[in-house]
Amino acid sequence: MGCEITTKKRQGIINPMYDCQPAGAQYAGIGIKDCIPLVHGGQGCSMFVRLLFAQHFKENFDVASTSLHEDSAVFGGHQRIIDGVLTLVRRYPDLRVIPVITTCSTEVIGDDVEGNITKINEMLKVEFPDRKVHVVAVHTPSFKSSQVGGYSQCVEAVIKNLATAKVKSNGKINLFPGWVNPGDVVLLKHYLSEMGIDGTILMDTEDFDSPMLPDKSIHTHGRTTVEELAGTSGAIASVALARYEGASAAEYLEKEFEVPAHVVSTPYGIGNTDALLRTLSEITGKPIPESLVKERGLAVDALQDLAHMFFANKRVAIFGHPDMVIGMAEFCLEVELEPALLLLGDDNSKYKKDPRILALKARANWDMEVVCNADLWELEKRAKDPDYKIDVILGHSKGRYVAIDNNIPMARVGFPTFDRAGLYRHPTMGYRGAMLLGEAIANAMFAHMEYTRDREWILNTW
Amino acid sequence: MPMVLLECDKDIPEREKHIYLKVDGEDTRDFLPVSNAQTIPGTLSERGCAFCGAKLVIGGVLKDTIQMIHGPIGCAYDTWHTKRYPTDNGHFNMKYVWSTDMKESHIVFGGEKRLEKSINEAFDEMPEIKRMFVYTTCPTALIGDDIKAVAKKIMQERPDVDIFTVECPGFAGVSQSKGHHVLNIGWINEKVGTLEPTITSEFTMNFIGDFNIQGDTQLLNQYWDKLGIQVIAHFTGNGTYDDLRCMHRAQLNVVNCARSSGYIANELKKQYGIPRLDIDSWGFSYMEEAIRKICAFFGIEDRGEKLIAEENAKWKGKLDWYKERLKGSKMAIWTGGPRLWHWTKSVEDDLGVQVVAMSSKFGHQEDFEKVIARGQAGTYYIDDGNELEFFEIIDRVRPDVIFTGPRVGELVKKLHIPYVNGHGYHNGPYMGFEGFVNLARDMYNAVHNPLLKLAATDIRVKEVVAYREAAE
Repeated sequence: MGCEITTKKRQGIINPMYDCQPAGAQYAGIGIKDCIPLVHGGQGCSMFVRLLFAQHFKENFDVASTSLHEDSAVFGGHQRIIDGVLTLVRRYPDLRVIPVITTCSTEVIGDDVEGNITKINEMLKVEFPDRKVHVVAVHTPSFKSSQVGGYSQCVEAVIKNLATAKVKSNGKINLFPGWVNPGDVVLLKHYLSEMGIDGTILMDTEDFDSPMLPDKSIHTHGRTTVEELAGTSGAIASVALARYEGASAAEYLEKEFEVPAHVVSTPYGIGNTDALLRTLSEITGKPIPESLVKERGLAVDALQDLAHMFFANKRVAIFGHPDMVIGMAEFCLEVELEPALLLLGDDNSKYKKDPRILALKARANWDMEVVCNADLWELEKRAKDPDYKIDVILGHSKGRYVAIDNNIPMARVGFPTFDRAGLYRHPTMGYRGAMLLGEAIANAMFAHMEYTRDREWILNTW
Repeated sequence: MPMVLLECDKDIPEREKHIYLKVDGEDTRDFLPVSNAQTIPGTLSERGCAFCGAKLVIGGVLKDTIQMIHGPIGCAYDTWHTKRYPTDNGHFNMKYVWSTDMKESHIVFGGEKRLEKSINEAFDEMPEIKRMFVYTTCPTALIGDDIKAVAKKIMQERPDVDIFTVECPGFAGVSQSKGHHVLNIGWINEKVGTLEPTITSEFTMNFIGDFNIQGDTQLLNQYWDKLGIQVIAHFTGNGTYDDLRCMHRAQLNVVNCARSSGYIANELKKQYGIPRLDIDSWGFSYMEEAIRKICAFFGIEDRGEKLIAEENAKWKGKLDWYKERLKGSKMAIWTGGPRLWHWTKSVEDDLGVQVVAMSSKFGHQEDFEKVIARGQAGTYYIDDGNELEFFEIIDRVRPDVIFTGPRVGELVKKLHIPYVNGHGYHNGPYMGFEGFVNLARDMYNAVHNPLLKLAATDIRVKEVVAYREAAE
């Protein structure tokens, strides 16, 4: 009994859980309206990340590359940054923001991105006197952190570049959801709207799920505008839902412009959602409406049918982004699932001291392990171990073969979930997300009972 | 003007040299798009990098080999779960990827020790696997890690393992094509001839430039089995590391993908005197021609004719059913390079489909020579096409279906144009007789997808015809 917090002992990685920093920066960048991120590196650094986004969302996103080659490795890639930005501005007349995202190669070469941007700004002023394009340096060497940190870096860099002055108070809340699905963004906006709160979502990815329309217009892009980004300094407060994905930008706004930053528990599960709504209510003075009490009730009602009958004593392995993994573990405890194995996939030393992890450790009266800097081989080894019991896996599609080969039911959550249809559309956060997640776990278990003929007759009368 | 400057390219006029509209009476002696040249930064090109050309396209196909990527995590993550090349041993190649997960301190102090540790760990964790490819990436190439020395040291310490190194960082060359080249040349020079095969037939060949996409290799292998030809090595579909060390013993090199793998066939000819025979494996008429050429080489023409007759009896009727329903359809092909010239004439001859626009990510001059010779007048031939160019070309040629990758497929979906996966296929294999029927079926199902009509319907307009048609 009890919880052990360890770190992967191997140096190398077999089957990574996260992509590198520039991938995360690109994800944050595409959340901005009228923005095309420009990745300063080899062409693969953007091409594959675009493919990854397309796999997850079944949508195309625009990300450009400076197409770095040998000559730049020798002489520097300055001209390619300049050419890249100017080509984008010339060919895309609506473009307003270009994050210039560095990679391992250009950080090793040591290209002076800021210096080049100063030069570019002068050139843009001459060529486009009536147009303002914000070119933002985002330093994301791939040999530091991971896609998680890269996401945070880009959000922070964009805020720092666009929120440059304290603007008049606009009564809004800055809401930093972290790296979430459009389904979560829609849910969070719904909460704000039900409570009568005006909010800026950073970044607003609702349209990452976009329609096929009769007029063939394409609306697959972020919705957070330059004006909204500039207005974040005039908000009444910032609420960051993910400590490792965007909270640093909220903290910057507090330090620089006295916008109070609230870093709340990531709202997975009922209790965490309660805490978020109470925080929003306290900040704004607006009451939590009846409608949300009802939504909450629906979720508790649905989960009550599953918890002590099906979920109790089931051991769950969870992997993915740190805030999500921790939030999922907290959710598990609400429905009597045992979060037995938590895998956090980069070398961020803060995870071990995260108060939420320590709280889980303090509560653990079951066998529990937290592995930091983990890869999916850590999961696979345990799944193959006959003495190590895993009943359910919660994680993204990169771990699918651990479930398939070891015959363990798996509910897909997080990013990417390319091997299931439409998951990006559904929330995982909030009451509704908790309900849908609980039902997804239950249905994965039920299908497994049927395929393995494991007491499938229980469901004859459920 | 046969070279075309598109409206979207007015600010990058050098793109004119890359886009050719074929006119009757012209050929490649008159005009040839510039290719294998650097991409203009910021154009939203479709190109990948040299590292992926080596790892993802060729090396990562092998079914018994650890792919150790020496660099930060992204290069491993990104070249995993992006390909459909199964194997007959449970898809080991698609399930795993290995990285040394380089961090800043290794950039500063060198990453060789970490590489050595990671290699040993990988062999220890998977003791049944004895073969490995090691790749450099951008940062490890820039800091100058000597991966060959590390591999040599480990092979001395672990005599039962064999390691091949690929020094091909992402910034090398102008596209993935450079990675194909580096891997081909490295393999022939370092590994071919280091093992002797067991010969089981009087007729032997290597099958080069086919990567078992959705089972292509396995399908074609049925033909070679029937003809009594032993394939010593598949480069690299469903292939093994050790088979590839035995390539020097084949009597013939049959080359499908000349772009990714023609280099090794040339070297096998130069160094071992093994003749090279280029074939096309997609399409009935091409496949027949390929079987006839191979059989003529071995003097087993009668076996070839028998096989062709059997396959035609089995599949020709099905193909013709689709041809009847596809003829006159307009197709665009936006893939890597060779599939442009493999497919343009085969879909025309076998299915009556008109290819109206083609874009190649990494084709070279000879690829454009071939495709322009085989393709039609009135068709656009584009090198390294980018997103805005695609929109403009679509407006000009209005294709009914586009064979391209999934991301571009999602883009053109919004324009009500269906895509078929031109890289990993929708429901393949697509090679051989059966495979081309699969391709025809997938194209038919795409072109006749009822949702396309529904998508075009504006429910605010009083017009229910499209809706009814779709329902019928």
